[in-house]
Amino acid sequence: MSHFRVAGLVKRFGALTATDGVSLEVARGEIHALIGPNGAGKSTLVHLMSGLLRPDAGRIELDGVDLTPLPMEARTRAGLSRCFQITSIFPRATVRDNLLLAVQACSGSSLRLFADRGRETRLHDAAQALAERVGLQSVTARIAGTLPHGAQRQLDVALALAARPKLLLLDEPLAGMGAEDSETMTALIATLKADMAVLLIEHDMKAVFALADRVSVLVYGRVLVSGTVDQIRADARVQAVYLGTETA
Amino acid sequence: MTSVTGHTSARLRWAPWAVFALLAAFPLVAPLLGLDFYVGFVRRGMVFAMAAASLNFILGFGGLAALGHAGFLGVGAYALVALADAGVRSAWLLWPAAMLAAAIASAIIGLVVLRTRGVYFIMSTLAFAQMLYSVAVSLRAYGGDDGYNLFERPAFGLGLDSAHEPTFYWVVLGLLALVMALFDRAGRSRFGHALAGIRDNETRMRALGYPVQRLLLVAFVVAGAVAGLAGALLVSHNAFISPATMHWTQSATLLVMVVLGGIGLRWGGPLGAAVWIALEEVLKHFTEYWHLPLGLLLIAIVFVAPRGLAGLLATPRGTGAT
Repeated sequence: MSHFRVAGLVKRFGALTATDGVSLEVARGEIHALIGPNGAGKSTLVHLMSGLLRPDAGRIELDGVDLTPLPMEARTRAGLSRCFQITSIFPRATVRDNLLLAVQACSGSSLRLFADRGRETRLHDAAQALAERVGLQSVTARIAGTLPHGAQRQLDVALALAARPKLLLLDEPLAGMGAEDSETMTALIATLKADMAVLLIEHDMKAVFALADRVSVLVYGRVLVSGTVDQIRADARVQAVYLGTETA
Repeated sequence: MTSVTGHTSARLRWAPWAVFALLAAFPLVAPLLGLDFYVGFVRRGMVFAMAAASLNFILGFGGLAALGHAGFLGVGAYALVALADAGVRSAWLLWPAAMLAAAIASAIIGLVVLRTRGVYFIMSTLAFAQMLYSVAVSLRAYGGDDGYNLFERPAFGLGLDSAHEPTFYWVVLGLLALVMALFDRAGRSRFGHALAGIRDNETRMRALGYPVQRLLLVAFVVAGAVAGLAGALLVSHNAFISPATMHWTQSATLLVMVVLGGIGLRWGGPLGAAVWIALEEVLKHFTEYWHLPLGLLLIAIVFVAPRGLAGLLATPRGTGAT
């Protein structure tokens, strides 16, 4: 049963067609990896799916709901959350305040002008649970911008999880990470698919093959091939354009 | 618990309210010191403190550098004048009506200008304020360019004598305290945290699911309404209003007050307004060309306190983002 579906997505920047008729599906409880060489259009595709960019053609749907006309904030409320390739947190606030802000977005109105948020214990409990889920419970009092890179990436994921998404878009979550941080993050991502579908954009092939149920290969804005990890490993075309050097 | 409006050490937290207590005592002490004149002067300062605080609400929390705030002051003032001219006397009708008029104006203008950010936002707020200015100039019924004299100060009722200068002073002081208390609360509310989040990382806020445009519009309208109240108090204080009140240079002055006091700091607006108005008054005693020394002093202050004067009193950690 298809869960998240993208059909015939097109995005042009002037003469450049960055996304050229992309169709793909992510099933419930699946980690679907999107790989491809630099400039293949992966980030554009994430922006199109999350609503940061508007497509020129095509359709995006989640659980049968058409998300295409919705702005980013409405897509989040409809169950599609994203992380950012370049960490996007609130660096001057504490980790706890970051998490509180994320939890608040999806639990009641933010048009409460005069009631002290500090007294909302349920909000604080939810933020604490989120910290524990991503392994940041020991640093909730720290200013987010002072955390090491790996922890900031974990926080970025935590912010996206607050909305309890049905589909999570992870845009290169391992970018710039050392071996230890990569392992922590890989383990975290592996736990996510129990609750949601994950679309994982990643360059680290070791992580992709460890995590993904299925893989799509994007080249020049098109999906070259989709398949299971084994199929992708064995595909001669994929090896030619992308994997040849990596698996050698 | 951190708050959007900036941390102030516990020792200083209640200092501003102590200042309010001193201000409340001032009209009683002033005659003994021969400072009667300054009761009116301080009252005018409190009106501008309120205006600056309302601007700091959208600038400091929402990160929106509005260069047309004096326009809403003017809408409030002219709404009061129009109703007073039609025979309405009660301050408790006139002032809320001024707020309502400014709220409506800021809602309509906000719908347009909030589609822009950065320099475009500055320029479009400026453009709308100048439009309001032009409308005021063309209002023949209310004096046009020459302005309008308000012959009778709005009546307070409740057995209060509105012509009694200290009484009006205390009413203004009370309203300023109320506005500051509400802004203080708003800073710690869900709304205040969300606004600060938008200021610090708007894209992430949208990705979190926040209706960013709607939140900014509410902030813009709240700030506009409070500016409208300040405008209504200003015309009540001066017994006069002219379009000059809403000229863009007035909007710029309000911005400078906020920058001077501390953008996003709880007491930045009032502190900046107080320092500006005091400096203006003092320098006018010495020279007709007071703009130059005032400008030099402001530059010096910005070097000494880049985060504003209230920033000097806050803890080094400064403005928490949320």
